[in-house]
Amino acid sequence: MVLVLQILFVSILACLVGLFLIGLSRKVTARIHWRYGPPLSQPFIDIVKWFSQTAVSHGKLFDAGMIFSLTGSVVVVLFLPFGGICPLSGSGGLLVILYLMLIAPLGIALSAGESANPHASIGVSRKMQLAFGYELSLLMILLSLMTYYRTVSIVDIVETQIQAGWSLVQLPLVVSGLAYLLIMPAIMGIRPFEMIQAPQEISSGPMAEYGGKFLAFATLQHAFNIYIGLSLFVNLFMGGGSNAGYFLIKLLLAFMVFQVVHAVWPRFRIEQAVRYLWRWPALLAFIGLIIVWVTTS
Amino acid sequence: MKLEILLAVFFGGSLLTYLLGKISKRARDILAVLVLLFATAGITSLYGKSSTATLYTGFLDFPMVLSIHPFAWIFALTIAVVGLCAVIFSWLYIRKKGRTDFFYFMMLLVIFSMIGIVLSGDFLSFYIFWEMMSWSTFLLISYNRGKAIAAGMKYIVMSVAGSLAMLVGMISLYTQTGTLVFEGISGSLNSASSGYLQFILILFFVAFGIKNAIWPLHVWLPPAHSEAPSPFSAVLSGVLIKIGTFGFILLIYGIIQVQVFVNLGHALFNVRNLLLLLGAVTILIPTFIALFQDDAKRLLAWSTVAQAGYIILGIAYGTSESLSGGTLHFFNHALFKSLLFMVVGAVEFRTNGVRDLNSLGGLIKKMPVTFVAGLIGVCGLIGVPLTNGFVSKWLIYHTLIVNHSPFLAFVALLGTWGTILYSYKLIHHIFLGQLPRKYEKLQAAPVSMKVPMIFLSLTVFVFGVLPGLPLHVINLSELGFGMEPLAINMWGVVTGSGSIQMLNIATALILGGIVLWLFFRMGPKNTRADQMDNYAAGAPVPADRYQYSVKFYDPLTRMIAPYLKDIADNFYSALARGIRNAGNGIRRIYTGDVGNYALYIILFLAILIFIQLYWKVW
Amino acid sequence: MTKKSGKMDRNNIGKWFKSPGNMGQKYSLHALYFCTGCGIIEIPPTITTRWDAERFGVIPVATPRQANLFLITGYVSVKTLRYIIRSYEQMPEPKYTVGFGSCPINGGMYWDSYNTIKHLDKYIPVDGWIAGCMPRPEAVFVAVTHLWTLIDKGMATGYLKYREHYAKYRRNQEKILGELEWPPLFSKEEENEKSREKVAG
Repeated sequence: MVLVLQILFVSILACLVGLFLIGLSRKVTARIHWRYGPPLSQPFIDIVKWFSQTAVSHGKLFDAGMIFSLTGSVVVVLFLPFGGICPLSGSGGLLVILYLMLIAPLGIALSAGESANPHASIGVSRKMQLAFGYELSLLMILLSLMTYYRTVSIVDIVETQIQAGWSLVQLPLVVSGLAYLLIMPAIMGIRPFEMIQAPQEISSGPMAEYGGKFLAFATLQHAFNIYIGLSLFVNLFMGGGSNAGYFLIKLLLAFMVFQVVHAVWPRFRIEQAVRYLWRWPALLAFIGLIIVWVTTS
Repeated sequence: MKLEILLAVFFGGSLLTYLLGKISKRARDILAVLVLLFATAGITSLYGKSSTATLYTGFLDFPMVLSIHPFAWIFALTIAVVGLCAVIFSWLYIRKKGRTDFFYFMMLLVIFSMIGIVLSGDFLSFYIFWEMMSWSTFLLISYNRGKAIAAGMKYIVMSVAGSLAMLVGMISLYTQTGTLVFEGISGSLNSASSGYLQFILILFFVAFGIKNAIWPLHVWLPPAHSEAPSPFSAVLSGVLIKIGTFGFILLIYGIIQVQVFVNLGHALFNVRNLLLLLGAVTILIPTFIALFQDDAKRLLAWSTVAQAGYIILGIAYGTSESLSGGTLHFFNHALFKSLLFMVVGAVEFRTNGVRDLNSLGGLIKKMPVTFVAGLIGVCGLIGVPLTNGFVSKWLIYHTLIVNHSPFLAFVALLGTWGTILYSYKLIHHIFLGQLPRKYEKLQAAPVSMKVPMIFLSLTVFVFGVLPGLPLHVINLSELGFGMEPLAINMWGVVTGSGSIQMLNIATALILGGIVLWLFFRMGPKNTRADQMDNYAAGAPVPADRYQYSVKFYDPLTRMIAPYLKDIADNFYSALARGIRNAGNGIRRIYTGDVGNYALYIILFLAILIFIQLYWKVW
Repeated sequence: MTKKSGKMDRNNIGKWFKSPGNMGQKYSLHALYFCTGCGIIEIPPTITTRWDAERFGVIPVATPRQANLFLITGYVSVKTLRYIIRSYEQMPEPKYTVGFGSCPINGGMYWDSYNTIKHLDKYIPVDGWIAGCMPRPEAVFVAVTHLWTLIDKGMATGYLKYREHYAKYRRNQEKILGELEWPPLFSKEEENEKSREKVAG
């Protein structure tokens, strides 16, 4: 019973936090652009609207991919510690999280592929390449963490950090932390790595054929995605949180850093993005992994 | 059931199938399936048994021994099941092509000689079955003629080189230990020097590595897999190359004990590290090369090479978790890769031999079952949770990370992310996007193709949710090797540093999916749109041209292409050219004219006389 | 006493519970700007820093599938009409059309041109007009507030009119464009019946 309550609490709260962050992102960007900006509740208004609209579907997979994708995101959230709460802690740790994080983009990719629109295919192709770009660094960063803490369980990593301090300021891990900061915008899909949707070039890419509740689902998925990206960073490098409030404050802090980048940067082309991701963050992550490997062996 | 009866039925059955084909086609088809069903049932009945039977002692005083143990059992069962599915699949597939009797005969022969290899208890029978397998495989690869002959040639040349290496190793082992029976060799190798063991290992690694397509020895595989008939590609990729894996496990864990193997040689330069390195390279390079492929079967072939790398990594790492991971990945790979080859085969069958990814598209509307099977196969290949590939890859990563090999783990993980790219390419190009007008009247796959595909998809799913089933058998075989088995239950594995429980993951995913589906249903009903009613900036969709598939990952592939020349293939081509040139040179001397030969002899004598006169050597 | 029309009631929680659909449509107008003519020059200041339409929930989107506000900014040539109709039909319902500038209303300065159409509402239903040549960005906001009133009163029913009189619209479209490449959007008679009932009810 406690578990069910925890699951509901964490998933709903993650969704709300994600939507709030989307609203905040729009507001902050507007303020940086010297605009008034939409109200913070704008994402909620949008979702209500999308649920009152009709939509077209291009087939069973078009629907199923969307549901599959959102399911994947929700389940990842259950594996991530939220303050002191982690509903599904004992079933696989970071490696499982890494794999579950695949489901969301895969679902969108299948659904977008079924929409039979080349814009969607281009978007998916870009997403795949971008993911390949940042995974190179992300995998090395996660491996350096797992090697340093000698565990694959994210709960253990958080607990060790609560006792020993943030990973970001541990000497062997600081290089990996820096690399993580560099790839973070790519993981969250914000500028300068926004070429997946790129409304001006490829008509919002995978989203091209979505309307109505599909867009609502896609936005919810995006909200979860933002929460997951930030939560992973906070849990792995900023010491998680001993309680939910503290955790949310850290989440907000990390979010604001990337939001400033998002508001002022233009968009990379995909090959520029991959070249960037394979050069500096990958180099830093590799050095970080070597440092950790040498110091722990 | 007695092993020798089993084998006799196998080979008798395959011969009978060939002969029956001369009388009745239908009876032949049914008989082939019946023989394989019998094989599957017979092997299943041997579950958990460990026994040895001496088949024949008279041949050159070498005993021919058959043995069964849990480790051989899981291989034999996989071979039989995949073989059964492939034969059912080929019912209609091969009818189009002709020479069906020969195909069935060879197919059964390959399957049964593989089972023979797995069940053999000494090197002599191992070698005999090995050669039978190699040659019948050659005949099947070049079944389609044309390009396939060159592919088969490449295969058989490399295979013969491997066999020769194995022969040398066997003879050396025989002179060292005086026996060819595995148990006997294993007993007398305890005292052997480290250098000798490494020598033996390397000889056998050439043989097994060629079959298993380890990186510099992989060149035969891509052409062979893509040119062979699809049902045989399924067998080839699913189980045949895993015979090399079987050899590796047998040699490292069965004959040379794993403790010996891990501590062999110098701390840095030893066979284990070499094998690990090659395993890592085998994951990495073929994964990248697969991104470039536009031929569906060639893409899958390169993917097979890459997946073989995981298995090698698991086996060579030498912990009980890594062996479980490697063996489980063999088992899983056999299921999902043969499934994928069947999916491509079904598409090829219906589109009259189109394998070019760029000219397909949108087939999900015409072949939904095939698509679902392909999707499940691809998910298994990537290792999406709830499919079987997930658990085996998790075991491999976990043991690499916990035992402090982050770089190997990195390569393995990166390989998976490359797998996503080419897997999506495969699924997207064949099944998603716009349906070309020429395929508007395409029929769904026939039932005889659907049945094996559905069956294999189910196994991929079931063993993904219940990894305890195969892991239980693998644990038994690890006990047989004298290793400490993993702590498993039906849903997963428990280790000291992190455990995996599919129960939680499966419940969360399935329940979450249902809840969200209901939520989705609550919204307004959506209308179905045709592919022609699509966003094209307001313009009507240009039929047949509204598809993005050519050069799908162009920005990425353009970046990595300069680093990805197939060095190994170029090397062998140069070698072959060199040998041909040398042969030409020699032919100039051996003209075939007796007069010339007489001249050579006289010249030779003259030189001898000259030397004797001048230096007085003798 | 009714509220003054055009007043923003975005934070009125009671109304959100009473008619979430209408409120959602009102405050989340995702616009598809159809840049047919010179009118588009007024749109960038409208959506960016100078006037910031986003504070009312009006943002541009990329494809018709995501939009519920169709803004036709400028003259409509015969060639563009085809694309306008297609885009309009691809938008999900409910959808609102606004003609921007005098050209879509009556041809404007192109009133005697051989290749522009003079009355857009003969081909697709139009819920509101912004007159002027050019209208200022403020006029867009006035139009948006008027649209809110119409949505509130249930009068922005152009999309239902399109269903109801689809045959007539299609005839008009085919008269000027020749045979259309796409099949009729609403072919079934009962669907027309249903939409007629909806309008009546």
